Amino acid sequence: MIELFAITNAPAPAAGGLHAVESNGLAALCAEAGERAVSVEDLWRRQELLEALMEECSLLPVRYGTTVGDESEAERFLAARHEALVQALERVEGAVELAVRVGGANEEASTDAAAYVRVKARLLELHDALAAVARDDRRLAPWRSAFLVPRDEIDMFLARVAAIEQANEDLSLLCTGPWPPYSFAEQ
Amino acid sequence: MTTAGYRDVALVDLIDRLLGGGVVVAGDITLAAADVDLVYLQLRALLTSVATAEEKGLTPQLGSAL
Repeated sequence: MIELFAITNAPAPAAGGLHAVESNGLAALCAEAGERAVSVEDLWRRQELLEALMEECSLLPVRYGTTVGDESEAERFLAARHEALVQALERVEGAVELAVRVGGANEEASTDAAAYVRVKARLLELHDALAAVARDDRRLAPWRSAFLVPRDEIDMFLARVAAIEQANEDLSLLCTGPWPPYSFAEQ
Repeated sequence: MTTAGYRDVALVDLIDRLLGGGVVVAGDITLAAADVDLVYLQLRALLTSVATAEEKGLTPQLGSAL
């Protein structure tokens, strides 16, 4: 059994003790799947590994805990999903994922139905204002979004976050990242 | 928000992404339900502190987030 970590363009950089299974210009970075307990430390280790990798190449993270039987199975997966994976890799090239969480809206939203509708509309507006300066965007929840931002535009994006926060004093915007493009790995 | 508070939010964002994002290879997630439960159990306290921080409208220094 081997565990899949990320998909990238071949040739893949050698990193973190992972080895690459290649197929038609794509590479799956993988390692022997070992017995291990899932822990918070393990999750951060995974994150650090992918963070280091994404300094060197465009990559699509694979869902945590994904294993396949052997290398030929990994190759078959790359071949079967070739077109979609190539497109996704092009989309994330040179970009990182930033997560934005809006806090402070819950209290107002819970007062009455009209307030709830008002808050929802306002959260959508905030999302759209940030989406306008991102390459791509995903609304994961009304108060939680992910944005795909080119590396050299991160400062500009954060300035927009700060400006929006200043214009909405009752809300707080919390930005984390940069993350590998977890939320943009699929079409 | 304190540095610890920021790390808590970052951890929640990390979990959301690792367990809910990424390329899906159909039918091959071998992460046992018990493992996921364990992760969420470890997280419960953190989630509570995040909710508290958001309720108070606490905000970290932008830039320190990166």
